[in-house]
Amino acid sequence: MAERLAKKLLLIGWDAADWKLITPLLDRGFMPTLERLVERGVMGNLATLHPILSPLLWNSIATGHRPHRHGILGFLEVDPQSGGVRPVSSTSRKVKAVWNILSQQGLRSHVIGWFAGHPAEPIEGVYVSPLYAHATTAPGEPWPLREGTVHPARLVDTLGELRVHPAELPPETLLPFVPRADEVDQTQDRHLAMLARALAQASSIHNAATWALEHEPWDFAAIYFNAIDNISHHFMRFHPPRMEDVHPRQFELYRGVIDATYWFHDLLLARLLEVAGPDVTVMLVSDHGFHSDHLRPRGGLRSPSGPEDWHRDLGIVCLAGPHMRRDERIYGASLLDVTPTILTLFGLPVGEDMAGRAWVEALEEPVQPERIPSWEAVAGPCGMHSADQRVDPEAAEAVLQQFVALGYVEPPTGDQAQARDRVVRALRYNLARSHLDARRPAEAVPILEELARDRPGAPVANTLVTCYLRLGRHREARRMVERLIEAGAGGPWTDWWLGLIEYQEGNVDAALVYLRRAEAGDTGRPGLHVRIGRLYLRKGRLDDARRAFARALELDPEHAASRLGLALVELRSRRHVEAAEHALAAVGLRHLMPSAHYTLGVALARLGQTDRAIMAFETALRMEPRLLGAHRWLRLLHLRRGDAARAARHEVAAEEMRRRRRERASSSASTGAA
Amino acid sequence: MITVVSGLPRSGTSLMMQMLAAGGLPILTDGVRGPDPDNPRGYLEWEPIKRLRQEPHRIDEAEGKAIKVISSLLQGLPAGPSYCVLFMRRPLEEVLASQAAMIRRLGTRGPATDPASLASAMRAHLAQVSAWLERRETLQVAWVDYHRLLARPREEARRIRAFLGLALDEAAMAAAVDPSLHRQRAALAEVGP
Repeated sequence: MAERLAKKLLLIGWDAADWKLITPLLDRGFMPTLERLVERGVMGNLATLHPILSPLLWNSIATGHRPHRHGILGFLEVDPQSGGVRPVSSTSRKVKAVWNILSQQGLRSHVIGWFAGHPAEPIEGVYVSPLYAHATTAPGEPWPLREGTVHPARLVDTLGELRVHPAELPPETLLPFVPRADEVDQTQDRHLAMLARALAQASSIHNAATWALEHEPWDFAAIYFNAIDNISHHFMRFHPPRMEDVHPRQFELYRGVIDATYWFHDLLLARLLEVAGPDVTVMLVSDHGFHSDHLRPRGGLRSPSGPEDWHRDLGIVCLAGPHMRRDERIYGASLLDVTPTILTLFGLPVGEDMAGRAWVEALEEPVQPERIPSWEAVAGPCGMHSADQRVDPEAAEAVLQQFVALGYVEPPTGDQAQARDRVVRALRYNLARSHLDARRPAEAVPILEELARDRPGAPVANTLVTCYLRLGRHREARRMVERLIEAGAGGPWTDWWLGLIEYQEGNVDAALVYLRRAEAGDTGRPGLHVRIGRLYLRKGRLDDARRAFARALELDPEHAASRLGLALVELRSRRHVEAAEHALAAVGLRHLMPSAHYTLGVALARLGQTDRAIMAFETALRMEPRLLGAHRWLRLLHLRRGDAARAARHEVAAEEMRRRRRERASSSASTGAA
Repeated sequence: MITVVSGLPRSGTSLMMQMLAAGGLPILTDGVRGPDPDNPRGYLEWEPIKRLRQEPHRIDEAEGKAIKVISSLLQGLPAGPSYCVLFMRRPLEEVLASQAAMIRRLGTRGPATDPASLASAMRAHLAQVSAWLERRETLQVAWVDYHRLLARPREEARRIRAFLGLALDEAAMAAAVDPSLHRQRAALAEVGP
């Protein structure tokens, strides 16, 4: 076992926390606890996954695996007993969470309120499910804890007493958030009730967490707060500057809620750190950010785009403690890295099947994390639910359908059937999107085709078109786009797709017509402009490309793909310093971009910075071993350094790749494949 | 005390109900699903069992009787009564073949899942239910092997009577077992593994 660097580790989750909102508050001295944490540790952006849905993301954070692997795919799931729907359950998770791995190694963990964490898992430590904090009864009525909310059972009464009911909050509690609260007509306006509910839940989680940290031995604690996300969904539309569709009076009443919410969390953080004690390694993360500026969707909660459209690609990470660098940034962190980092800090190996990496650059002294093939192959009690309690929702659904077909179980009817159908579709769609996000479009296609067949509609069709295009299946993509247009869903995106298809089929003039139309139908988001820019770049239209990427960056200055686009433009323009700057900015925003590392490598190589270029190319190859160009460059650079042996290895690798490409091309030609 | 006959659909639950009826135990049934080619001697089912979660009080009607409760509905048995569960076990490939035949005859549609995945799902369900039964302190369970029942009906009838602690006619129970109705094994034997 490697050296254990963390004596104790406290992982705090602030759902939806965003540096864009925090940074001005730090500057104004409104979050002194976090300010001190940042100063004595490292901080950075934390790249999220798609779909940006919290149950999926918090379980990726806790397991180091993508959703299609860990099995938590939505907010709801089908109840295998009743056939109805229920909140997603911890019994649906297919792999170990970090606290299971630690339990297996004899370490004690406290898990408080983690998303999709009901029922409580029988770990070594204290486990409190998220249902703990939900007030299900009216004030004054008994508020029993649901079975399975607290482990171990001996703590049910003690922890039950620590919950806060929203009605218990004195009215003045809300004044820091809404100073003019007494002007609100609460018979018409439910915002204050929502705010009280969110704050009460946060307080309940905080109370349980501080009690557990103080009274029960622990090595690791994972504490999850959902208040920032809940409050942001209801109040971010009132955050300054005033959005056009927000009434000035409501803006004035609620403009300070978001800032006050972060201030409140800073207070909670102070107490958590005090109780956790000195020499504790602290890791603060969020699963995604939250749009707070001109990228906020119009229409508030009822916006046609849905709640997910408010989520930003970048969450936060801050890590401080013994052996950590101080007051520094880390770059390119992903939420898939959290578990590998925690394991490394406890001196435990990282699973090779985990998709992320340990943040070794955050350490004062470099370490090389040990590896094992998979923690799933390590036998022994780990505090997960027993195998018979862990239910694969897809399998349970198949059994249910079989029993309905046999006439032994009543099929769900009416509202229950509709709810079930919606949930099943949503879970399948999220699974497909998870595959796509993991660069597995081939696995996503059959799922999406089945969904599109049963009920054709824009989100599924859009995703299917994306998959077809990634797989080079242009004919099917065109047919799907034409179906969308016939169904009245045409617009900038369909123009873009048709432009892309025309271009890839060699019809450049037709492609340009569609692209100009797509640019003119501006969606207000960077993604489409980046795609247009890339196409211009491929055509050699550098000024058009620069314009498109610059427009994308204007819309979102932290858009990694826009930065990469500009890097490529500058590279083609032989402006290598600018190219390197843009490429470095891109990988700083999002580490998992092999093409950005490759581009950086090219720029650095042309600037004569051989060693840094080699590092960039090697990073790119680790992420995408099929980058032939990277092997070619590395051969050249190693020759430059006089390392013939390494150069030869890359020559061999490049030749092997060329050979395989020739074979594939020859095989496609003989079968007549498209 | 309520006698519960359970197992996967097509695992021999109807046969067990027929044995208990022959032995003199009152059966809670409504005859909604009558005899058919899949079950020439009838299913002996009670439709309200499907709505037990919504109407738990109706379990009172089963007091002192035998009732068929298919495996997926077991966990909906309300607390309170004392239960003795006879859980049927039959090789899964036979069960699934029999289920497929029944679905074909009914003209309904099962899940759009390949056979291997369905078998895996059914296996997982069976393991989950079995483990749940093992953990219940409020009910007693006897596992009944379908093939053993066919091969040694008298011996099994004696064991079941002893388990239930009831004055049942063992000879009549054993006589209710008709091996000629065991179709799926014959069908599988014809086509081979």
